[in-house]
Order: sequence, then structure tokens, then C-alpha cells
Amino acid sequence: MAKEQVHKDIVIIGAGMAGLTAAMYAGRMNLDVLVLENGIVGGQIANATGIENYPGFISVKGADLISTLQQQAENFGAVIDEFDTIKKVTLRENPKIIETEEKIYLADVVIIASGMNRRKLPLPEERKFAGCGVHYCELCDGHMYNGKIIAVMGGGNAALDAANFLTKYTDKLYLIHRSEFRADEVTQEKVRQNPKIEIMLQTEIKALHGAGKLENIDILDKKSGETKNIAVDGIFVNIGVVPNTELFKDELKLTASGRIAAGEDCKTEIEGVFAAGDVREKEIRQLTTAAADGTTAALLAEKLLRNFSKKEKA
Amino acid sequence: MVKVYTVEGCPYCEKVKKYLKSKDVEFEALDIEKDEKARADCLKLTGIAGAVPVTTIDGENYVLDFDKQKLDELLCL
Repeated sequence: MAKEQVHKDIVIIGAGMAGLTAAMYAGRMNLDVLVLENGIVGGQIANATGIENYPGFISVKGADLISTLQQQAENFGAVIDEFDTIKKVTLRENPKIIETEEKIYLADVVIIASGMNRRKLPLPEERKFAGCGVHYCELCDGHMYNGKIIAVMGGGNAALDAANFLTKYTDKLYLIHRSEFRADEVTQEKVRQNPKIEIMLQTEIKALHGAGKLENIDILDKKSGETKNIAVDGIFVNIGVVPNTELFKDELKLTASGRIAAGEDCKTEIEGVFAAGDVREKEIRQLTTAAADGTTAALLAEKLLRNFSKKEKA
Repeated sequence: MVKVYTVEGCPYCEKVKKYLKSKDVEFEALDIEKDEKARADCLKLTGIAGAVPVTTIDGENYVLDFDKQKLDELLCL
């Protein structure tokens, strides 16, 4: 059976901070807006246990911030579909075509806010222990290690926040990072003050061992060149992110880092296609800058739609 | 009755629950961090201690994580 075709003023790809902000603005301007999300509404911050640098909040859980923003966007008429999956996009035609498992959407404007995915642990044993020793969601799987030994791998804010959070389950947590921390000073200080965390900088996990489940790991001390084996029941991997641009690589110019090339106006090389949030190549990637991108993309999209409309009438 | 084994704050658990609601499927959500029996039942079902979300309708077949296709098959949606 042929898929149903549905026209939308704007289709937003991704329901993280940038996508939902764009949806809220576009909905408020009475545009017909659909947000498609292949993963989790909220994206990377859905896992954040306490955000302390979003203006107007002393501390807020990522899930709570996103839930409120989703409600704001929906109150203005935006529709958010997190269950359908995008299969293909065709951006160089007008209208642009977004084919999902269930439908074909024809959109006058597309805002790409597909964000980033967590980088996988680059070891061949990753697949063997995924879900039973190697994890990427501390909120989902942290409880599996109640009273057990945990390792967190990574040196950014997300990794250090995860380490702090996971000490609610364990008295022994190794924080393993290959170089020096990239996290901000406030977050680093929290980790240093946590007596349950043993910080292991300049170290790398070289191998995972265990029968059926993870039991121990080999760690290389990069300074001394020595490798030692330590008992660990679960590793939570937070070693950065990769841009979620696979769908667009044949349509848009990507930068060396795999992000979409677009300026501060969020305009890509294709008229009517905007890139917003972490998926756009830019120097600073924060929640606030994602919100700013969503705002910019939605307002300029509305302006473009008005121009399309004027041309049609002329 | 469909059962969904979850833990609080798990975004994939929330996604499964939202999906079932969107399909008007009645279900019982059981938090395995707070409910010892649910934790034991979930372990018996999957053999993986603490893995969530787990959805089952008959206590024998189950879907781990959010997998729309598998959920549709399990629940005949």
C-alpha cells in the first residue's frame, strides 16, 4: 500500500533542545509544524541529572526541562512524533521530502536538529558486553550495579556528572580518562571531593574480560606504560559524541567533524534547509546555544515561508 | 495484562510507556528498584539482572528496550 502523503510548513528533525525550541517558536507563529525524533525526546540532556547552567534555573533535571519545553511546543500546536522513523530525506526538491516508515512528509522548510549520539567504546569486546557490563545510560542501568564496582570512562562534564550520580549505587568507582579533564572546574571539584571516586587520568581501557558478564578490565597507564588488571562489574562510557548526520551526508556538505556546515543564521547551502544545535558546525555547543539556534532557525524559516507565499501570490 | 518493568528516570522506559499509551494498550508499570518481586520476576524472564525496559504480556516472551517492530509483534499492534 502506498504511504500517505502529508504536507507540513516545517518539518523539524530531532526533538532535543534546538528542535523543540524551533517547534515552540514556529508553532507560536501558527505554522503547521511536525517534529520527528528517531531516538529519545530531549536527546543528550534526557540523561542529565542536574543542569546548573541553564538561565533561570538553579538546578534542573534534563528530563524535567525537556518535558516542560515539549509541553510548551505542543501547546502552540506543534506535533511531536517519536515513534515513526525517518528512512530517507530529499532536500534539493521543493517541497522537500521526508520519508518515514509510515508516511511521506512534504515540507516547505526543514530544520535539522538531529544532534549527536554517544560514541561507542572502541574495543572489539564492546558488542559482547553491551548491556551486561558496558552501558551508555546511567539513569537506565546504574541500578544494576548496586554495591558493585563501577568504572566511568570519559573526561567531559557528562562523564563526571555520571560518575557523581553513580556513587549513589557504589562505594567504589573508577573514573578513567585518557588525558586531562575537559569538564568545567565546578564539576571537576565535585568529583575530587567525592570519596567514592578514584580518578585515573592518563589511562586507557585496553581490554574487557569476563564469562557472560564483565568481571575485570585491563588499564594502561600512559605515563608509566604499565598495564594492570582491575576488577570492575560495569563500565559507563562517556567518551564524546558523534554527529547524527548519516541521513544527510548525500544531500548536504558536512565538515571534517561530520557536522553540517551552516553559519550563525543556521542556513545551509540549500534554501529552506536549516541546521540548528549541536549538529551544526560551530565553536560553542551548549544548551543555551542550541536554544538560540532553534530560535534563529524558526524565525528565519517563518520569514522564508512568508516570502514563498508572496511569490506565489505575485 | 501487559507488564512493563522499568526504573525511575529511565528515558527508554518512558518511551515504551508513551508508545503503549499512544496505542491504547493497558499496562502495569513495575519499578524494579522499588519492587523486589518485580525485580526477581524480571530477572527470571530475561536472565539479565536489572535490564530495563522489559515488556511482556505472557511472562514468557518479552521485548528488551524500545523496539517498535518487536513491540508491535509481541502485542499484535
